[in-house]
Amino acid sequence: MRGSENLKLVAGLSWRNVWRNSRRSFLTFLTIVAGCTLIIFMRSLQNGGYAQMIEDAIAPLTGHIQIHEKGFQDNMTLEYAFRDDRSMIEKIRKTKPVKEAAPRIYAGGLLIHNDSSAGAEILAVKPELEQRITTLHKYILPGGRYLEKGDTLAIILGKNLADNLGVKAGDTVSMVSQGFDGSIAAENFSVKGIFRTPNVMYNRTLALIPFRQGSETFSMDGYISSIVIRAEDTDYVPAVTERVKEIAGEELEILPWDKLMPEILQFIVMDRVSSHIFVFILYMIVAFGILNTIQMSVFERIRELGIMLSIGTSPVRIFSMIIIESAIIAFIGIIMGLISGAALSYYFTIHPMDFSAYQAEMELYGMSTLVYYAKLKASDFYNTGTMIFFLSLLFTFFPARRAAKLDPVRAIRHL
Amino acid sequence: MKKREQSSVIEIKGLYKDYNSDGLAVHALNGIDLSIKKGEFTAIAGPSGSGKTTLLNIIGGIDRPGRGEVKVAGKNLNGMKRGELSDLRLNSIGFIFQAYNLIPVLTAVENVEYVLLLQGADKKERRERAESILRDVGLERELKRKPAEMSGGQQQRVAVARAMVSNPEIILADEPTANLDQSTGSALLDLMRNLNKERGITFLFSTHDSMVMKRAGRLINLRDGRIVAGKK
Repeated sequence: MRGSENLKLVAGLSWRNVWRNSRRSFLTFLTIVAGCTLIIFMRSLQNGGYAQMIEDAIAPLTGHIQIHEKGFQDNMTLEYAFRDDRSMIEKIRKTKPVKEAAPRIYAGGLLIHNDSSAGAEILAVKPELEQRITTLHKYILPGGRYLEKGDTLAIILGKNLADNLGVKAGDTVSMVSQGFDGSIAAENFSVKGIFRTPNVMYNRTLALIPFRQGSETFSMDGYISSIVIRAEDTDYVPAVTERVKEIAGEELEILPWDKLMPEILQFIVMDRVSSHIFVFILYMIVAFGILNTIQMSVFERIRELGIMLSIGTSPVRIFSMIIIESAIIAFIGIIMGLISGAALSYYFTIHPMDFSAYQAEMELYGMSTLVYYAKLKASDFYNTGTMIFFLSLLFTFFPARRAAKLDPVRAIRHL
Repeated sequence: MKKREQSSVIEIKGLYKDYNSDGLAVHALNGIDLSIKKGEFTAIAGPSGSGKTTLLNIIGGIDRPGRGEVKVAGKNLNGMKRGELSDLRLNSIGFIFQAYNLIPVLTAVENVEYVLLLQGADKKERRERAESILRDVGLERELKRKPAEMSGGQQQRVAVARAMVSNPEIILADEPTANLDQSTGSALLDLMRNLNKERGITFLFSTHDSMVMKRAGRLINLRDGRIVAGKK
């Protein structure tokens, strides 16, 4: 008999066997469907959680990618500046899928109000572009406002920094620092707003002034500290980073968010390890569920398998038949499981879990992410489906081999 | 032509088979020499434990010979692989068991079709041949019944149909009438005898039923794993 005919025969027998004992097959389906659903749901919640965590961490200020003079990230001083090349920013802005790109000036300085003073990180930004890149403008407390285009001697401060200085919106603060050329940089700024972000460090140390003013105050002479870029989605960051590298060249350092905030990535890696353990346990539950039901089905059919062997069914066919039975059950179970996992995940994509009511408690434990939504990824479907299918076949191998090796004489006598 | 018809389909020389039962060696067959010619209707008689079933199982390739040579349908069973033995059983041998041994979840016609399915016959041919042979054994009304829904006699007739449907050279039957009442057993024997005469199929069956022994074309007596007497 030709290979294809043989396969058709064995597959036909397996197909009938699957539906012959529908209760047993249903139990196996259920194990696979439940396993797939849980894994897909867990993975998509994780994806959503990580995406939100990244978003919450990078959205207020960091952006997706930053371009600096080499050495800036390690030293964070005004000296590490590079020439503000407008054509480069325009090229980056026109690159897809880049949402926005904007220049910044970064300097350390001393803020003074009456008898109080505090060290601050001063960031000069273009407010109209910055609002498309970061979300800091959303955290302005009532009674104040974010920087606006055309502002000159305006400043916004973090809540804790403002408290330390004892200032409120409308007050004036003095800033003393050093310019790019080594001169003294000093200016009085009018406090336009106070912000309170989920990031405590920003609240304690950060102050924002308009870009043009910063350039003048710090005597930048056409130099900038960084270009901050936002991609359309966090998933596009690797691709955009590559394109930006082509545009900016080798002279500058181009850092994606995971290099700018490596602690987030470390947390995700750690969390993934623990989730891998959980998923591994789920896989094992599914695999042993399959092993158990297939073992049972072989054990229940010992006599029948003996009869089949006696009347001319070859051991290879018996083995293939049981493997294909498992493959059929696994295939249908995986499809159903992936669909139900996707449906459950989709529900939590459009109805995210919102813990805003517990913001204060969560911040106490350093958790700034308050909304958890599910995010489906094609790779999770592929990986879960492939893994469960592979495990189904692997764990069927042993009962199938046992069935194929049955002694027909003994098997027929089996009750 | 005549010489060919008389050729041996089963040829056994010096067959021994030992079993290990709770650490004790049991000599099931003790030097069997046997030749069965094509078209014979042979009964192997003997008390329980005399080795009848072991002999049939070895001839049928579902048990292995200990020592000695066994040739069935022109093929030497010694050293054959499991897959080769399966092919031999599928294409040259039909089995009828004492306990019917039908596949419980398949209907009568599906049980018969199964062998044709293994042989790769197409669906239409399978159904036609299976139904035709079930009609021949008088089961045209039981085609779609499962084994549990049929009497012992009906089940055994399905088993006969299953054994015959692939047109085997030999049908081996292990005490086919043992679980049947006398009239049903007699009717089954008539059926087997007719098939033997009409189709020239070689029948070899074990029995300890005197009615069956009387109607056999050839009787072989087995005792303690040895042939003690034979008559034509």
